Parts: sequence; C-alpha cells; structure tokens
Amino acid sequence: MTQTPQFKGTHLFDRLCWAKENLEPVQSDYRVVYEDSVDECAKILVPDPNFMACALAGGILPEVWVYHELAKDEAQPDFKKHTRGYLLHNTEPVEAMTEEQAIEYLILKDCPQHVVETWNEGNRPTMVICKKEQLPQTREWRNAWRISDELAA
Amino acid sequence: MAGKIIADQIEHSTAGTVDTQYVVNGSAKAWNNLNGTGTIAIRDSFNISGITDEGTGRYLHSVVNAFSSANNVANGFVRVSANYGFLSGDNDTPFTTSSFRNGTHGGGAAALVDALYVTISLSGDLA
Repeated sequence: MTQTPQFKGTHLFDRLCWAKENLEPVQSDYRVVYEDSVDECAKILVPDPNFMACALAGGILPEVWVYHELAKDEAQPDFKKHTRGYLLHNTEPVEAMTEEQAIEYLILKDCPQHVVETWNEGNRPTMVICKKEQLPQTREWRNAWRISDELAA
Repeated sequence: MAGKIIADQIEHSTAGTVDTQYVVNGSAKAWNNLNGTGTIAIRDSFNISGITDEGTGRYLHSVVNAFSSANNVANGFVRVSANYGFLSGDNDTPFTTSSFRNGTHGGGAAALVDALYVTISLSGDLA
C-alpha cells in the first residue's frame, strides 16, 4: 500500500495532486439519501472515487470541522472571500478511515447541516445510508422519489 | 512532493515568455466527469468530494479544496443519450465556495433531463 507522505502544512491542493498521481480511485457502493425539504424530492449523495481513496489512505484530508468553520464564515452577510483558508492546509490531516467512516465524514461535510442535526427527530428518518443496489435501477419519476419505509427500515 | 521548481516566468526559445501566475490562475482547480443516468456514478474527477443527484438533470458538485470566493467559472459539456445537450447554472446562486450546482438539458429544450455525460471544469482562486 502506498504510504502517504507527511503532509501537515502542505497546501491541500498539492496533497490532492499527489493523491491523484499515486492512489487508485475507490468506487464505493454506499449512497446517502436525504430529504432536506418537504417540497423537493429525495437527494442522493454519491461519494467521489478519488475522495474515497484519500480518505482510506489517510494523511490528506483536513479535519471535517475545518469545513464547518469555513461554512460559518461564508454564511456571514458581508462575506466576500475566505480569510481562513489556511485551516484547510495547516490543520493536521485526518488519519486513515474505514469506508464507513469516510461516508460519515462525507455526510458531515456535504449534507446540509439541518439534515445532519435533525434526520432522526421526525416520525421517519430523513437521511439513510444504503447500498446503490437498494436504489431504483431506472430514474423513472425521479422528481417524486422519497425515502421509502423499506429503505428507512 | 518529490521536487519543486520555483519560477515566476517560463521562456520559450522564440515565442517569448509567460508569467507562471497565468498558468496557476488559468488552470482548472476542479473537474468532474459523471454518468448522470441510471445509478449515477463519477467516471473520473479531481478535487471533488462527491456529487449530489438532486433530481432529474440536477447535480451538485462539492469540492475538497474550497475556492476563496463564490465568483468562479464553470465550463463543461453535456451529452444526453443520443442527442446533444447543454449545461446551465441551476438557479440564481449556482456557486458557493465549496460547490457548484448545475442543470442539464437536451435537444435545445428548457426542460431538465438526465445526461449520459456531465463534464464540468471549475476555475477560480483557491482558499
């Protein structure tokens, strides 16, 4: 297995360049299905194969709280430009994850925060991790898809 | 990294010089090539953490290394089954510093449709 160099303090983009050159992409079968609005269909988060390779290798991705800090900055009404981008590059990279941990990281990074915080508070879950085989195989009526009881079980 | 060349300019023997800042600023910072039909899958990419299938012909691309602002540029092309297609910014605010939301259309029509090839390239300053 390829050993990740010591990357603390290395620009994240340079780390991704290294990963692209040295790591085999990993196609995950996991999908994250979530509903973030009652007026919209279910959304499906698909992990990127190169992202998964970085997560499984370890030593490349920043801690997920870094993204939350940047999101807080961006949510400010007077936001123009990030001034704390150094957090992406200077924070100690996260260690190697399992595939399941990588999916959790991805959920925390890319799913809307209100979904992550409240997915299990209603009378049925609004977020489900499943295998891609559990999704409909055709995209018929895609804009009407919701999380089914079967998938939520 | 194994090695590094630090240079402000590159000079060609006859064609002149170019500042390396043009290379750095002009390079795509993220790209994605995905199959937006069936069970959506990413074929290949760079600086992408995942894509979100948001419905027929609607895709959200999330990046690993965020951009410094939301004033970025997206290029790309779309192939819809056996037909040509085109790419659009999906709503009034298609960009954030960490994502780009697009729609895909086929045959010159306004309606969103799933695309066999969705390819995008994002340029801008990194955070």
